[in-house]
Amino acid sequence: MNNSKKHTGEEVRLMKGNEAIAHAAIRSGCDGYFGYPITPQSEIMETLMELEPWNSTGMVVLQVESETASINMVYGAAGCGKKSMTSSSSPGISLMQEGMSYIACAELPCVVVNVMRGGPGLGTIQPSQADYYQSVKGGGHGDYKLITLAPASVQEMADHTVMAFDLAFKYSTPALILADGVIGQMMEKVVLPPFQPRMTEAEIREKCPWATLGKTADRKPNIITSLSLQAEEMETINLRLQKKYREIEKNEVLFEEFSCEDAEYLVIAFGTSARVCQKAVELARAEGIKAGLLRPITLYPFPTDAISSFADKTKGMLTVEMSAGQMVDDVRLAVNGRVPVEFYGRLGGIVPSPDEVLEVLKTKVVKL
Amino acid sequence: MTTNEIINPANLVYAKTKVLNDTPMHYCPGCSHGVVHKLIAEIIDEMDFQDKTIGIAPVGCAVFAYKYLDIDWQQAAHGRAPAVATAVKRLLPDRLVFTYQGDGDLAAIGTAETIHAANRGENIAIIFINNGIYGMTGGQMAPTTLEKMKTATTPNGRNIALNGYPLNITNLLAQLEGTCYVTRQSVHTVATVRKAKKAIQKAFENSMAGKGTSVVEIVSTCNSGWKLSPAASNDWMVENMFPAYPLGDLKNL
Repeated sequence: MNNSKKHTGEEVRLMKGNEAIAHAAIRSGCDGYFGYPITPQSEIMETLMELEPWNSTGMVVLQVESETASINMVYGAAGCGKKSMTSSSSPGISLMQEGMSYIACAELPCVVVNVMRGGPGLGTIQPSQADYYQSVKGGGHGDYKLITLAPASVQEMADHTVMAFDLAFKYSTPALILADGVIGQMMEKVVLPPFQPRMTEAEIREKCPWATLGKTADRKPNIITSLSLQAEEMETINLRLQKKYREIEKNEVLFEEFSCEDAEYLVIAFGTSARVCQKAVELARAEGIKAGLLRPITLYPFPTDAISSFADKTKGMLTVEMSAGQMVDDVRLAVNGRVPVEFYGRLGGIVPSPDEVLEVLKTKVVKL
Repeated sequence: MTTNEIINPANLVYAKTKVLNDTPMHYCPGCSHGVVHKLIAEIIDEMDFQDKTIGIAPVGCAVFAYKYLDIDWQQAAHGRAPAVATAVKRLLPDRLVFTYQGDGDLAAIGTAETIHAANRGENIAIIFINNGIYGMTGGQMAPTTLEKMKTATTPNGRNIALNGYPLNITNLLAQLEGTCYVTRQSVHTVATVRKAKKAIQKAFENSMAGKGTSVVEIVSTCNSGWKLSPAASNDWMVENMFPAYPLGDLKNL
């Protein structure tokens, strides 16, 4: 009779990053998942279908006709104050951009997972980080931001799912988990988060007084919309959004430092690239090069101040991404020319090796 | 009968439903939207469902439907109302969930969401206003625009070789296993208004009974887009729209 332990214990499990997201979603008290299959993230919906949470927590899991439908179902569910999510990979996320812009403007909380693959176009199914711009610079139309979390392990796939829901509801805004095909597909040890019950309707009415649960006699109709034809009204809505984004930038920056205390050279990388760069930093240290790694955990809000603080302490920086160089723009903005910032990237689904990174660090940054 | 006798509450035989508020409607005089809004409001009131109804508004002339009916609303992206309604109904199965969509929203940009929601047999009601034109954007061709019908983007009339055929999406929806009730109505006479009300009521009752998707098409006028007076629009609709979109039940399970 070990059933209770299965649901509450701190047991260590071995699973894929995609599977960890599915387990963590149920344990977050998620009410609804809506998705469309695409490699390399299909295990998220497959795992949910296998776990059948509608029989345990009552969570709705629906495979639908397109990513366009998925994100609009997330809009509908979120408009009812429900914890809702979808997941996809790069081309599918492109299809969702209109919906994400609507959700951001309507100020609805939800979680979107992008397990990135190489693009542009249909691209490849191999891992990539080339959707950085799309994630943190807008993606859809209009002035909006997505809280963007960048997991670098299977454990973080689980942890970030819980965190993404918490942040989405704290700020009433969409949160994006920006993983890549490596983190989604690889198997690692993970301790799953504890079970949280789904919110009751009474709790939703209290926490989300704007939710469309049916107009009761004691309040006006709740209307979820992103439309305001008066330019002055629309500007007011925009200013409210911008104020919220400044709050998020002030409160929610997360990053991790590795061997940074005495670093003369700083490597900056997120997700899978950060795992590779951690090894590269170890190899550099073994050769006597004082290298350190700063790993942004939130890509929006970006750890601008933390990176800036290293500008006067280091001789050079290297940004490594599985793209042609996107985050490097934000690193350069952070240091504003005070220290040289080099870039190394592999494109189209190639993961760089620690040796490649070490070589670039030595030749372009340390200049031995 | 004196005026005072007429306005005496005891003598009132008709009143505006409380679900319809006093916001002046933006619809053009003669447009069918106002009548359909009133019918929906009356039915919600009669069913005592004001606190249990969530409406899904489209993009198009009816984008502001949420301003006029005192119920909870979500305004969906263009064409996505059936997807939004799917999620709302799945997560709140004891609520009445309906979409209100025009022909461009439902039968052009939202065809996939419409077909798949109906094919899943979502327990929602779809109110479909078909006036054969894009009203909100200034009278361009709709998927349901008739052959030879002049619009802003078919100035010489809809040319089948160029523009394809008018899409009779309601007939398509009637073929799907997920639909339980598919009907085509109009609101241009007292008798048709009464029939349309019964149809919408049935659609709402079906949704609550979990019978599947109900579709009520209302063949409608757009006198501004058609560039006709309201009265002439009604005549034009009877003469031209009804042969292509004949009134009556297509499916009633």
